[in-house]
Amino acid sequence: MKKESGNKIKLGVFVATGVVLFIAGIYFIGKTKQLFNTTFRISAEFANVSGLQVGNNVRFGGITVGTIEDINIISDTIVRVDMVIDEDTRRFIRRDARAIIGSDGLMGNKVMNITPGTPGQPEIKDKDMMLTITPVSMDDMFATLKVTADNAALITDDMAAVFDNIRSGRGTIGKLLMDTTFAGNLDKTIINVKQGTAGFNQNMQAAKKSILLRGYFKKKEQAAEDKKEEKQEKKNESK
Amino acid sequence: MSEQTNTGTVEQKKADTTTEVKESVKITAGLSKFFEQVADFSIFMGRYFRELIRPPYEINEILKQCYLVGYKSLGLVGITGFIMGLVLTLQSQPTLAEFGAEAWLPNMVAVSIVREIGPVITALICAGKVGSGIGAELASMKVTEQIDAMEVSGTNPFKYIVVSRVIATTLMIPVLVVLSNALAFIGAYIGVNITSDVSFPLFFAKVFEALKFSDVLPAFIKTFFFGFAIGIISCYKGYNSNKGTEGVGLAANAAVVTASLIIFILDMLAVQVTNTILN
Repeated sequence: MKKESGNKIKLGVFVATGVVLFIAGIYFIGKTKQLFNTTFRISAEFANVSGLQVGNNVRFGGITVGTIEDINIISDTIVRVDMVIDEDTRRFIRRDARAIIGSDGLMGNKVMNITPGTPGQPEIKDKDMMLTITPVSMDDMFATLKVTADNAALITDDMAAVFDNIRSGRGTIGKLLMDTTFAGNLDKTIINVKQGTAGFNQNMQAAKKSILLRGYFKKKEQAAEDKKEEKQEKKNESK
Repeated sequence: MSEQTNTGTVEQKKADTTTEVKESVKITAGLSKFFEQVADFSIFMGRYFRELIRPPYEINEILKQCYLVGYKSLGLVGITGFIMGLVLTLQSQPTLAEFGAEAWLPNMVAVSIVREIGPVITALICAGKVGSGIGAELASMKVTEQIDAMEVSGTNPFKYIVVSRVIATTLMIPVLVVLSNALAFIGAYIGVNITSDVSFPLFFAKVFEALKFSDVLPAFIKTFFFGFAIGIISCYKGYNSNKGTEGVGLAANAAVVTASLIIFILDMLAVQVTNTILN
């Protein structure tokens, strides 16, 4: 008899633990889905909800404050999204707050982000319609990327043509880089320039020693020396 | 010479025809035995539901069976659940790390355990432990004529033996699944913390964030069906055993094999039904 009642107690503890864990699990899941909090409802209209689903999170300042309750097509260009938001956050959301559909990481679920709005504005009311920002969809991004890629293709085509010209030695740069006769000529030119400057040096030396120009060069030397002396004196005075 | 060959061929043909006839007889016999069993099982189920409703109710026997089925299986189911969570996490971690999605580990583990692994593994373990026990116990009762003795003494053996056991498995398997899931989450938490550092509140916040009622409730409801299947099949196999002592082993074996198979079939049906209802 004693053993039987002991077994009953054990069974009771076992079942109670199971039931408590189950209820706790249900409670915590419900809590994340805002089932047990006081909530209010707001809606927003979009042209495209980009795969947003009922049950996705609503975030305000990066914190989950609610969930998507319902998504309905109103007309061919309008999709209405109803959200359930925690009552405690209502005082922070202003009438001009905007809703934008975002993504939770690269591979994550879609989320609805709410921007705070202007501080002076009154707070949002239950069943209000929110202002929205059209989300940039992946399709839009791919369309922009396509234009960029097309432009890049044109540019690379042009560059290929330019490099082809250079390779075949056409144009100034092509000749400069690829034409061997041009390089030979350039060599010769440089040799000529060198010879020319050496000749010019000799001529100048001869000019300095000629009777006609000797006076002019001496005057120049004298002026340069005077300037040097002046500088030296100034330095000494300042010391 | 040619006559001998002809006779040989005719005899060969006769032998072939006899083998074919024997084969077809075997198949027909097998099929008719299967359908007989299906009919027997349907009658058995019908009797179960009749006896379930009709008083008196064997409350003490039901509680005793609940203790044996539920409490006594907790150790085995708990250890299995804990290891399941731990191993699932450790095995999934490298693959998720490859995609840079390690942060999703608690979410993935939570959904896998609650939706599928927890209920199915727990039910299979119980089919092995409880199902074989019930099958062997009832078969030995049948062999030792205890069931007949009960009838003579005025006790309804079906109500006392079958109904109490089926109620016990139907009610206890869901509780075992909940406890096993809880232990699997603790195993998963330890598994996550072996390779990285995640706090207890963050881990459980992620687990509950990933779970929806549409994950938890269908998975919980199907465990009642798993429990019922284990109980009714084991009782049927044991109650209808009729091959002496050899039948005890056969009944235990058949109870485990059939219950395990039915668990998988029920699981497949549960997925289909849930998807149809939710979509």
